[in-house]
Amino acid sequence: MIFGASGDLTHKKLMPALYSLMLRRLLPAKFAVVGVARTDGDDDSFRNDMKAAVQRYARDEFREDVWGDLAQSMHYVATDFADDGGENTLQELLTRCDEERGLGGNRVYYLAVPPPAFPTIVEALGKRRSAEGWTRLIVEKPFGHDLASARELNHLLWKHFDEQEIFRIDHYLGKETVQNMNALRFSNGIFEPIWNRQFIDHVQITVAESIGIEARAGYYERAGAIRDIFQNHLLQLLALTAMEPPIDFTAESVRNEKVKVLKALHTPGPKSVVRGQYGRGFIEGEEVVGYREEEGVAPDSMTETFVAAKLYVDNWRWADTPFYVRMGKRLARRETTIAIQFKRAPHPPFGETASEGLRPNVLLVHVQPDEGVSLAIGAKVPGQGMQIRTVHMDFLYGGAFRTGMPEAYERLILDTMLGDGTLFTRADEVEEQWLLVDAIVAAWQRDRPSFPNYAAGTWGPPSADDLLHRDGRSWRRH
Amino acid sequence: MSEPSLLETWEGEDVRLADVEAGLAALRGATAEEGRPPNIRTSVMTHLAWVPEEWTGPAHEALAGMAERHPSRTILLDPMPDSGKNRIDAAVTLECYPIAGSERQVCSEVIELTLHGNRAKAPGSVVQPLLISDLPVFCRWRGEPPWGSPELEQLVGIADRLIVDSTEWDDLPYPYRRLSELFGRTAVSDIAWARTSRWRTLLASLWPEIADVGTIRVHGTAAQGHLLAGWLRSRLDRDDVALDLVERPTLEGIDLDGQAAPFPPGDPPAPSDVLSDELDRFGRDPVYEDAVRAAAR
Repeated sequence: MIFGASGDLTHKKLMPALYSLMLRRLLPAKFAVVGVARTDGDDDSFRNDMKAAVQRYARDEFREDVWGDLAQSMHYVATDFADDGGENTLQELLTRCDEERGLGGNRVYYLAVPPPAFPTIVEALGKRRSAEGWTRLIVEKPFGHDLASARELNHLLWKHFDEQEIFRIDHYLGKETVQNMNALRFSNGIFEPIWNRQFIDHVQITVAESIGIEARAGYYERAGAIRDIFQNHLLQLLALTAMEPPIDFTAESVRNEKVKVLKALHTPGPKSVVRGQYGRGFIEGEEVVGYREEEGVAPDSMTETFVAAKLYVDNWRWADTPFYVRMGKRLARRETTIAIQFKRAPHPPFGETASEGLRPNVLLVHVQPDEGVSLAIGAKVPGQGMQIRTVHMDFLYGGAFRTGMPEAYERLILDTMLGDGTLFTRADEVEEQWLLVDAIVAAWQRDRPSFPNYAAGTWGPPSADDLLHRDGRSWRRH
Repeated sequence: MSEPSLLETWEGEDVRLADVEAGLAALRGATAEEGRPPNIRTSVMTHLAWVPEEWTGPAHEALAGMAERHPSRTILLDPMPDSGKNRIDAAVTLECYPIAGSERQVCSEVIELTLHGNRAKAPGSVVQPLLISDLPVFCRWRGEPPWGSPELEQLVGIADRLIVDSTEWDDLPYPYRRLSELFGRTAVSDIAWARTSRWRTLLASLWPEIADVGTIRVHGTAAQGHLLAGWLRSRLDRDDVALDLVERPTLEGIDLDGQAAPFPPGDPPAPSDVLSDELDRFGRDPVYEDAVRAAAR
């Protein structure tokens, strides 16, 4: 059941993901999709609407036979879920599906609705839980607005569902390249021995978007970059990079290790956090407006569209090793990367001019685009004399594997059906993430930066560069 | 120089850069063969080239064989500000070369972007998303740069090294003063200067007699004449070395105070060899910078 079936997420991600799973015969034989939304409609209009969405957004070619199989299992209920009538209609439909399709009372509920709608739906679902089969509830971000609201939401969910039944989605965790971080670290013998403060100088994590806020001003004005990206995607990438090897790859083992990292994060002082807001500038050669000129944004908005921070993980492995992170809108390019910069060779025996083109070794995990891993190493330039320069050894998914990259939502929906919560965030992770964000935001109440402070199409405000320059470092080149 | 064993192309009109990235990914997928080791994309730089329409032919000529010698992502920018359109057209080519003794191939990417209308005014924001992370950016500027223009300023701000060929410029030596203003911001190479390399080695061998030279007559391009005269002035620390220029399409000879200097050994390098050599350099070249300043005086 998808709540919010007329929304963007359903059109662009969920239904295309279900189609791709159907195409690969990964959906169970006994299966039904029920769309729920306030928009008027019936089964036929829902199927037509979703067919158009799949044709437009699915990664696979459209096949009528595959779509036919999926469409015949699709139903729609128009209700705002605040009245018993709508709930009853839905209940009758589910009972009928159970009888006709033999679903055994198994349910996946997907809350693809804005947070204010959560309580009503969760209470209603809780009251009418199926007596048979299993139940799983997928909750989309944002999961709360701060620690207090996240805790409140957790308590609401726990009233009706066990923690094992709750799947808090952070779609970054479903990306192949993010999962590849675990494969890279824990399936190769060469990395883990040097994955620590002795060999790593620092880590840089960048989550950069070149797009603006599009039509999400209402949400973004309240959230800002720190709640939109930092609180979830960015801290999860950091946790995966810094965590200890789990004893196995079960949900609890992996999440236990991630939460240890989140607990060990030192709250950064005000000088270690930079926030910014974009002004006018150029993206792909086109002039774009500043944040305050975007439709729906207050002309004196103080919402940040960029955050950079220096974070420390206070544990044995990472003591004194900075994790520089940055994220923002309207930056120079779309890029999500994790860069592990190793310490320089202690005593290169070459002359200064021989190695002027040489940079420290960097292991670069490209989450998107150019999905893959690069290792920057020094190599001799062919010819006479000793001239050394940095070259990249690249592993690109597109060139190494013939299979296309699955969308994150395919993996996450499938894992939910299988009951595997490894790639979902647990309540204590979410709360630790909010604890850090609340501390940063509290410090922001004490000053009023001069916004806008960076031009669209650049890499953020100059103070973000100063954050590293003070430590004798600089952001990676682009 | 060998021909690429595999050459795949993707083209699009009025594209977003995400389309270009997707096109590249599709080409990589298309060139990967089932059951064979993956192709290697290895890179040493991003190579930008600003190529106004009149320079398209020579630019492609100079690029021939470059991919094999300098595995890189090449981004050719063709500005067409007066085309009446306002969009970006793209052609992406993947060139793969066999690796001797291996089943693998090494692949390089050439992205040709035609910048129509206003898109030609903000090339920095167009190329930034396509640069290969962490690697140096070399920018080859064909023709005389429009000094002080936004497009030059933006690309100089991105590039680690600006490569020009002052043989392509008019009104020498005046533009050298404008060029020298860029020295503090990026390293600069001049192909005209590189073509005088053999002659400079020869002239240096004439020390100490050359210390008193009064006039250098250069049978070559204006750029070569001014740069050689500037070089002598700066190295000898004398502003009174006069230039007598006998314009020729290539550097044919040099006279010092009426005496013909001996001809240097070897053949002049091919255009792609000269560009290739410049792509191997990293730091600033203080001798060249001094020669340009002296040529402009």
